[in-house]
Amino acid sequence: MTVERRTVLKAVGLAGLAGLLPPGFLAACTASSGSGGAAPATGATGPRGAPGTTLDPDRPYLVLRAHEAAVVEAATARLIPGPLDDAAEVGHPGAREAGVTRYIDTMLGALDLDPTMVFAGGPFSDRAGSATDDFATSIGLTPAQAAGWRTRLDGLRTAYRDGVAELDALAGGDFVAAPPARQDEILATDPGGFMAVLFTHAIEGTYAAPEYGANRDLSGWHEIGFPGDRQPVGWTPDEVSRSDGPDVYVRDGIGDRLLTLLQGTTPS
Amino acid sequence: MSRAIVIGSGAGGSVSAMVLARAGWDVTILEKGPAVITGIDGTPATEFSNDELKHLRDFARADTTSEPRTYRTSDEDPEPQHGAVQNVPQTVGGGTTQWDAKTPRFWDIDFRKASLLGPVDGADVTDWPFDYAELAPIYDEVEELIGVAGDVDALGPLTRAHAPRTKALPMPAGPPQRGSQLAADGAAKLGWHAFVVPMAINSVPYGGRPACNNCGFCSGYGCPILARAGAIAPLHEALVAGAELRADAMVTALAHDGRRITAVTWRDADGRTHDESADLVVLAANPIESVRLALLSELPDPHGTLGRHLMFHWFTDGTGIFLGERLHGYRGRALTHQLDDFADPDFPGARDAAEAAGLPYLRGGVLEMGGTQMPIDEARSYQQVLGILAPTKPFGTNFKQLMRASLLRDRLLGITMMGEDLPYAGNRIDLDPTLRDWRGTPVARITYTPGVHETAAQAFYLPRIVELLRSAGADVALAIPNLPSARFPLASNTTPATMHVLGGMRMGADPATSVTDEVGRHHQLDNLVVADGGTFPSSGAHNPTLTIMATTMRNARRWT
Repeated sequence: MTVERRTVLKAVGLAGLAGLLPPGFLAACTASSGSGGAAPATGATGPRGAPGTTLDPDRPYLVLRAHEAAVVEAATARLIPGPLDDAAEVGHPGAREAGVTRYIDTMLGALDLDPTMVFAGGPFSDRAGSATDDFATSIGLTPAQAAGWRTRLDGLRTAYRDGVAELDALAGGDFVAAPPARQDEILATDPGGFMAVLFTHAIEGTYAAPEYGANRDLSGWHEIGFPGDRQPVGWTPDEVSRSDGPDVYVRDGIGDRLLTLLQGTTPS
Repeated sequence: MSRAIVIGSGAGGSVSAMVLARAGWDVTILEKGPAVITGIDGTPATEFSNDELKHLRDFARADTTSEPRTYRTSDEDPEPQHGAVQNVPQTVGGGTTQWDAKTPRFWDIDFRKASLLGPVDGADVTDWPFDYAELAPIYDEVEELIGVAGDVDALGPLTRAHAPRTKALPMPAGPPQRGSQLAADGAAKLGWHAFVVPMAINSVPYGGRPACNNCGFCSGYGCPILARAGAIAPLHEALVAGAELRADAMVTALAHDGRRITAVTWRDADGRTHDESADLVVLAANPIESVRLALLSELPDPHGTLGRHLMFHWFTDGTGIFLGERLHGYRGRALTHQLDDFADPDFPGARDAAEAAGLPYLRGGVLEMGGTQMPIDEARSYQQVLGILAPTKPFGTNFKQLMRASLLRDRLLGITMMGEDLPYAGNRIDLDPTLRDWRGTPVARITYTPGVHETAAQAFYLPRIVELLRSAGADVALAIPNLPSARFPLASNTTPATMHVLGGMRMGADPATSVTDEVGRHHQLDNLVVADGGTFPSSGAHNPTLTIMATTMRNARRWT
């Protein structure tokens, strides 16, 4: 049963519209294994369940050069803006506040890290009753996983190098220096499919567990009222079954447009 | 002492190993994937966690870059897709490590389809080698073994009539989910019969494992406290009875001579290969990998039946959006209610719809009611949709407004129908002619498309799913086919991900029309038996895992 709706396009009935994306690009460039060609490769594999070290938030970047990091920071702040980026977002942290650039660099450099932080450890973080944070450790990759990640990360590193260069070129030399409105215009053209990659990774960093490098101070979860991981405490039976009471959707333009679109999608 | 090698440690492999080990066999289980659950013979521990990103990165599943599959809708499909096709978990415990653990039984008519419902043009509908009455006491045993919670008196009248029971379940039902309850109430208003479905999730401590604490990261996730059962229970029994379990051990070839498998070749985590022989080889790697191994090993297939009659269950996803309440679907057991009125060939109107489509009957399938998605998936939904809603700025505050409103997570009530898939010879597993995995081995190619029965049933039930969501109080309700069909172009750009993979090595008395005999033994190889969903002659209209385990228990007792 797929109540998780992992392929969400199906759930909202817009699967056919995936064809609007650059062919194969999104799937190949998300951090999940997605689709992509098989290629022989071998990779370093850490021991399973290797004790990890909590990543130093101020450590040097592993992959991104300083200017690349600045462009990634500026672009992802346009995609998921916070108080510094958009007047409408005062009080609402975004990608910048979550630390998305750090997440992206950690992912791009995953195979250079020991442990890799591709898969955070388990079963518990220390956010819901456990004294220790297993998520701060990392689970080693199998040889097949290491091969897949090496292939994907090779592609992603190239995508970031090329994508940053493209954004700079479109901005007349330095994307960071362009006015926000111009940055938005450039991103909206999704040059080379790079905006879609950045957006996907900004989403992952903002809403994933903080041990992956972003969602700093749980800002991503707090912003949307999501409680995050709940083990080993869980929820009471009453919390599962009850109504939390009325909570009326506040109408706004974009939400209403989504509702209208969905209303019309059931085939007949 | 006779020796058995069991390939795969999921639903079928675990039960096979248990039955054989208890019968005094020397059993070795070879599991391709890693041991994400350890200590199964004593105090189990796991690395599963409430971690959406880890799940999206295919933790404990195949890496679909290094180990892809291909999918095409027909032999003429000009654009085969590759990557994640039915990527059922590959780890100790198999698919049951991340299943939703709903354990309805198949109905009596599922085992006597040809006799009771008649043939369907173009499909190879057949009876099973046994009937419901034979399996019923074994269902009881499996429910006791893995630990199923539920109230049999609360099941729907159709359910009780078509899958009668004589025993109570070993645990009471757990708490109903808010969204599931709303859907059940909506169904009742329409005269349909929703109920809390039996599930292999502990409502009280059972089998040495704790009660579920409702964490919410359930279907599709591994259980961090192992309150959700599955293969872990029979694996425990197998290991206690002396079986050996080897993880990271991928079988790459079955050597054969005459009517026997003479050697099993497997590769360890360091890439070294080993040859071992056994008196009995149990193939239980999930149908796609089992068939792939059989094809790679060039097992005899004199009638061209190997890999055919592949069935998935075609899903239809209903989405209800509630504008007055947040449904907190992130708490609890993913969903708690089902109804199976739509699995009844005599559902009001179904006979007429079948006749109009030129069919003798049609069936939908069980409806799972409740559930939503997690934030990263939700955000990706908006990422996609914003390209249509706001093409000049498909990000920014538009995106954040959608995340705050949470129309597609906290206000979402999901409903999925799992329709019965008839067996067609053209739906099949074979080897892709060009694509290789990272080791250079040909990967599995899936050819699958729904038939007239499936599309007619989908067209009939789709509006009824919407009707149910509206009755439940949804302000916006829609239903979308989840499997490709020319009739439903909106769903055409997808690869199958229903995780219900059945057929390919179907059981039957006649070697010309089946791959295995009435106990799952290969028609041409006396010491090879199959013990996964591949043996199913038809797919039923309910979640299949309990029936995989019960069928395996029934068959394994006849192997020795």
